[in-house]
Amino acid sequence: MYSSNPARHTPASGAVLQVADLTVAFNTPHGRAGILEGVSFDLFPREILALVGETGSGKSVTAKSILNLIPAHLREAGGRVLFQNKELLSLPEKRLRAIRGRYISMVFQNPQSSINPVFTLGEQIARLINLYLPGRVARIKKETGCSRKNAVKAVAEEKLKEVGLTDIERLLKLYAGEVSGGMAQRYRIALALLSYPEILIADEATSALDVTVQAHILQLMKNLCQNKGTAILFITHDLGIAAQICDRVAVMYAGRIVEIAETKEIFRNPLHPYTSGLLKAVPKPGKDEPLSFVPGIIPDFVNAPQGCRFYDRCDRAMEICRERKPESLNIGDRHVVSCFLYGSGAQKR
Amino acid sequence: MNEPLVELERVTIRFPDERPVFRKPAAWIRAVSDVSLAIMKGECLGLVGESGCGKSTMGRAILKLAPLYAGNIRFMGEEIGRLGEKAFNRYRPRMQMVFQDPRVSLNPKMTVFRILSEALHLNAAVEKTAYLEQAVKLLDLVDLRPEHIYRYPHEFSGGQQQRICIARALATDPLFVVFDEATSALDVSVQAQVINLMKALQEKFDLTYLFISHDLSIMAHVCTRVAVMYAGRVVEVREAAALFESPRHPYTKALKNAVPVADPEFVKQLGILKGEVPSLSDPPPGCPFHPRCAYAEDICKKEVPGISPLGEKSWVRCHLHEQLWNLGKLGNRKELS
Repeated sequence: MYSSNPARHTPASGAVLQVADLTVAFNTPHGRAGILEGVSFDLFPREILALVGETGSGKSVTAKSILNLIPAHLREAGGRVLFQNKELLSLPEKRLRAIRGRYISMVFQNPQSSINPVFTLGEQIARLINLYLPGRVARIKKETGCSRKNAVKAVAEEKLKEVGLTDIERLLKLYAGEVSGGMAQRYRIALALLSYPEILIADEATSALDVTVQAHILQLMKNLCQNKGTAILFITHDLGIAAQICDRVAVMYAGRIVEIAETKEIFRNPLHPYTSGLLKAVPKPGKDEPLSFVPGIIPDFVNAPQGCRFYDRCDRAMEICRERKPESLNIGDRHVVSCFLYGSGAQKR
Repeated sequence: MNEPLVELERVTIRFPDERPVFRKPAAWIRAVSDVSLAIMKGECLGLVGESGCGKSTMGRAILKLAPLYAGNIRFMGEEIGRLGEKAFNRYRPRMQMVFQDPRVSLNPKMTVFRILSEALHLNAAVEKTAYLEQAVKLLDLVDLRPEHIYRYPHEFSGGQQQRICIARALATDPLFVVFDEATSALDVSVQAQVINLMKALQEKFDLTYLFISHDLSIMAHVCTRVAVMYAGRVVEVREAAALFESPRHPYTKALKNAVPVADPEFVKQLGILKGEVPSLSDPPPGCPFHPRCAYAEDICKKEVPGISPLGEKSWVRCHLHEQLWNLGKLGNRKELS
């Protein structure tokens, strides 16, 4: 499960996160399901990397595996996830907890289910402010002579204003179920950013929101990335989001990354047949043509095909695709693809 | 001349605001306010808007799944808005609905056959002995195979489950089908398949559709005309492509600007619409959009805009639409002579 060719994953200079050959399998009653197969990518500071794929592509499992959020007894994991020179997959839980929320934060799709419903919003943010920003609280206390409680409240107001929330005094007294999805998600993002994390993982963070609210939040994330240098791993199935705010796009299919490139490049010149199929299926607003789609469904993960997992649905499949799995190849500048169509003439990564 | 199949005339729907428990409700949530709309036979009318705008409620009211407070609803010229449950039952086979989440709209304890049989029950033209044959035919219509008939919903993918829902809707031989966010929970590729299927079925059986969605991007692919809703009111109705290319209402323009386009060459500043949707139990006077509208003037704060016709079956509700159009403020390019 470790790369047979170490040169493939020489640390790229400056990458804040390196995922190398991440392989995850679930033990199901039907057998061993190979969910992720050798997922590799780097995340650099100050960039937004989109992890794009449809249901079953493994993008959420990838995100959760980075932070080791999948219970150990349910899965086997192999490969490496390197952050701050530590190998996260083999780190003991205690040390992982020091990283989660502090250096690597995560925001999920449904904000209501990741905010504790039995405490008020004020209580929850207060706890985190005391944990991550004690110096700030102490300073405000000193400067204004107010109580600790009010100092914490002042920090909360400042942080919640940053994400575009209003009427904060009232908001802090509410519970998760009493606010709208948009407000809850903004609150949740504020919580994730309290510690000034190096990496923010957003797992379909805007999918459950109205499009006008989504626009706010995407802008917020872009600003965050530019101003604070946070690297963002944005998981989404929406290619529009990828096009508008992401610097690079990694496309996943059935547990593998099939292509990675800079955003403009991947839209202009998609190499993998799945990527081009996906791009063609995106509705073009205002156009009245029949929608194109990729026929077929994802393969069975328990009895996974031995060759390329896209073989059944690929309109350019060859014999070799059925027998072997393609490797990742470098095509040109920062464009990686995993497909036998690009075998000869392409330089092995 | 094309006839309207479904007509809504000054429809208002309200729900009691929950707070006071034992007394009369202190406030009413005005989910739909004074909406007049005609759905023509054979067309696919889109209804687009964000959460809480009233689009789902409106769709449900037509099928008597939501109470009508004021106004009229007519189906094939006949008044149905004020009918009692029993009297309305004879219309039910003619109008059906496909919901957003098949995991809750398909009974997980029933096989596909039982699900379809339940619907076939409403189809007077089919004998009980013919249920199996008919069910298989229905599955074939939605590109599912006969062997799927005895399976349970959880054994299918999301897209397949939605197709079962569509088969169920067709089982009663309807004239009118409401799709309430029916493709919103599906992947792009699956959504495309389901939409293509919907269109094929519409042509084949000469159906009339009401397609409710929050996703402006797919509207032109599915619908002939689109109505935009905001805070319980319809603010604009236009032909689908025209709506997207040249919106006439500031909210439509804002909605369009907020949609991320899958084309990095077209990087735009995603239009940020300030403010929040208004309270539906205490809406602002005048045009509901005025607190967030960049162009609001005094009249907007006082009077609800009337209907300004824009052509065949198109109209807009905005006091300033003409000026905004002439000034090119709605994203259109207008030659200033």
